[in-house]
Amino acid sequence: MFCRLQPNVDTRQKQLAAWCSLVLSYCRQRKLYTLDVLEAQESPVFNNKKIERKLSVEAIQVVFEELRKKGNLEWLDKNKSRCLIMWRRPEEWGKLIYQWVSKNGMVNSVFTLYELSNGDDTENEEFHGLEDWMLLRSLQALQTDGKAEIISMDDGKGVKFF
Amino acid sequence: MGNLFGKKKATRVTEHDRAVLQLKQQRDKLKQYQKRITLQVEKERQLAKQLLKDGKKEKALLLLKKKRYQDQLLDKTENQISNLERMVQDIEFAQVEMKVIEGLKVGNDCLKKMHEMLSIEEVERIMDETHDAIEYQKQIDDMLVGSLTQEDEDAVLAELEAITQGDADLELPEVPEEELPEVPEQEPVREKERAKKKPEREMVAV
Repeated sequence: MFCRLQPNVDTRQKQLAAWCSLVLSYCRQRKLYTLDVLEAQESPVFNNKKIERKLSVEAIQVVFEELRKKGNLEWLDKNKSRCLIMWRRPEEWGKLIYQWVSKNGMVNSVFTLYELSNGDDTENEEFHGLEDWMLLRSLQALQTDGKAEIISMDDGKGVKFF
Repeated sequence: MGNLFGKKKATRVTEHDRAVLQLKQQRDKLKQYQKRITLQVEKERQLAKQLLKDGKKEKALLLLKKKRYQDQLLDKTENQISNLERMVQDIEFAQVEMKVIEGLKVGNDCLKKMHEMLSIEEVERIMDETHDAIEYQKQIDDMLVGSLTQEDEDAVLAELEAITQGDADLELPEVPEEELPEVPEQEPVREKERAKKKPEREMVAV
């Protein structure tokens, strides 16, 4: 991996694609859902300590921008310093959650969001530890399909599966 | 509901669901509380150990008292959580029971309606009519059969015979043209030849 952006357009495209998939795999491995650009720069993805080279913040932003175009990333602020990263799309998460629900015969029951992402029952599921915003989006995706309905209460949200 | 919720006309969330959710939320809070206390207790135990090592017995004792109290809290929380969970399960089961009753009711109504349609007089009438129709059909049959003379019947039988005869002719196996198998003084070559031809003949015969 070259630690600077390539000037040639073709090479640059390939390089960007490689960076993108690297970032996504890294986040998937670490189960990261939000990234800080400055923190990312220090992470092993963009910082090769062996050869003491790291990608500049601008270059990281270019890579992230590419990810945003693909729909895997969303900026949290205008300065583009923090972002949400979606190495799995909300629909896919929704599908996983729904599979778990129907496998356990819990269709037609009510859940709290905390129960889904932090409960003892979901300990071995991939969506365990999912951040709230991501969980909410996946449930919204399910809601659009008519497989779930989000219930808002005074303190916190819940969901019912169908 | 206001315009904001205009889209969600057909919400499938009932009041019961909301109640269950509230209970579950309460349970989640208790669980979080439990986690916090557990961590605290563990920390205090370590600290007490350390204090004992350092020879501060008084302080350690005090700390253990506090820990004891927290343990009791933990027990209470545990009880409350199980209470809440039992409540949730009760509600869920009651919902299931309601569904069962609803199902039974629908079934009952359906059965009633069908019985209304099928009154006994109606059945009797239909049975009578069917009987009449059968009688009528029988009469027609008799008339039709009567219109064929004995001669016709014979002709029909003869034709049937002819057809079966024709089929039998076709099915006759061919007469084998080869000679009968020879005495086993032959060389093995010819023996093989015969073995080859044999299955052919059998197939034709079938």
